Amino acid sequence: MPRRREPRPAPALELKTTRLAGIQVILNSAEHAALDTHISTLFAATPDFFGGEPAVFECGRLPADAPSPDWGWLAQELKSRGLNPFAVQNASAELAASARQAGLLVLNDVAPAPAIVAAEAAPAPEPEPVAEPASAAEPAAEPAAASATRIIDKPLRSGQRVYAAGGDIVVLAAVNPGAEVIADGSIHVYAPLKGKALAGARGDTSARIFTTYLEAELVSIAGVYRTFETAPDAAVAKKPAQIRLADTSQIVIEPL
Amino acid sequence: MTTIITVTSGKGGVGKTTTSASIASGLALRGFKTAVIDFDVGLRNLDLIMGCERRVVYDFVNVIQGDANLHQALIKDKHCDNLFVLPASQTRDKDALTEEGVEKVLKELEHQGFDYIVCDSPAGIEHGAVMALTFADEAIVVTNPEVSSVRDSDRILGIIQSKSRRAIEGREPVKEHLLVTRYSPKRAHEGEMLTYTDIQELLRIPLLGVIPESEAVLQASNQGIPAIHQKGTPVADAYQDAIARFLGEEHPLRFVEYEKPGLIKRLFGGK
Repeated sequence: MPRRREPRPAPALELKTTRLAGIQVILNSAEHAALDTHISTLFAATPDFFGGEPAVFECGRLPADAPSPDWGWLAQELKSRGLNPFAVQNASAELAASARQAGLLVLNDVAPAPAIVAAEAAPAPEPEPVAEPASAAEPAAEPAAASATRIIDKPLRSGQRVYAAGGDIVVLAAVNPGAEVIADGSIHVYAPLKGKALAGARGDTSARIFTTYLEAELVSIAGVYRTFETAPDAAVAKKPAQIRLADTSQIVIEPL
Repeated sequence: MTTIITVTSGKGGVGKTTTSASIASGLALRGFKTAVIDFDVGLRNLDLIMGCERRVVYDFVNVIQGDANLHQALIKDKHCDNLFVLPASQTRDKDALTEEGVEKVLKELEHQGFDYIVCDSPAGIEHGAVMALTFADEAIVVTNPEVSSVRDSDRILGIIQSKSRRAIEGREPVKEHLLVTRYSPKRAHEGEMLTYTDIQELLRIPLLGVIPESEAVLQASNQGIPAIHQKGTPVADAYQDAIARFLGEEHPLRFVEYEKPGLIKRLFGGK
């Protein structure tokens, strides 16, 4: 009988590369009062939208002569709302110095600056009729999109919410009434979709929603939404369907 | 090994306490040393259903706060030798339940060699309900055949999957069981109620049993005798079946098919 090979114990430490999907916080102003007001209004409706995602301050849009923002205060404000800023990018030498002093990493020399996404790092899941589709991001510009797909293989239950930042979401189990699936890209549900599905949460009008069984409470693409007070067409109700946006302003539901 | 079973539902009035009493009694009748704890601090009911309300001296909160020891607070059941009831406090509120306190009591019961601890959860998804499910190894989710109850059960399942110790520590998840109560095959057949298959399709957890709607439950509650002791009634049989399935035995479902009453039965009454 062959001798059973002893499993080699894993080393205490291993190194691997990783790509981090996070949130860009784009600074258009360094003024304390303006930032304070905007943060308050931005997060007022959805204070717990983020669940501790890493975040990077994008400084490329700040005017050249802008003073350094109060980094410590800014980071603390965002931290209390579930975002974890750890670095600045595209910062001038002056900004970089002050950021370093505040304990933030400076990414300028580390990685090529990703293209600036026009839509701000704003939680936009509230079904607003149209959310600035004109300035919407080109999803191709998102460098981490390929690795940002989230896969969920357990049922999503009433009250649960998942958000795929910067990519698509694939759900292999039922999305029950009262559950919410949100993605910056497209949403694929290979099971009954009975809750809410919000694709293109940051304004991507080319995002789509796919399901094998449509019985949703609400669907939304880039802020354009539809509820189902009146049942959808018999061709798609409780059947495989695709939901997309036509003319950036109209929800279209088609059989798959 | 002690197994902690939480009986929960989200919604109120679906039969959690009735189920806790019957499941705990059923396990004790099978020879397991069992404790049943009322987590509904402030709205104490389990002692009434178990018929031991006149023997309550110390309660769960007293033990947590160190005013009494566990031995003083546990009440021995009238019907089963190896069943003990830990009643809730009626004068306090749910904030008296601390995570450390609950853990301490459960650990102590484990030391005393209990096989099963049944936690009777309060309704809702707030502190009391979360405390009842935090330490669960298995969960019995009690659901009535109506949409609001099913949705609340769905919600509580989500909470079990996120707030239980097993989930937080990344251990093997809490084993979930669906128990449909107050089921009327006739009304389900006529489309007035959800069928148990509808419920299971939505909640997608294994079915432990279907307990039929019956007047025997109300009588049992008023007499302070858990429904499982009402020998020969469908409710007692259905709870016995559920216990058997919980312990891994296979039993076909009973009391779920509607049979049209024949002419004789219609003429001469009967239910």
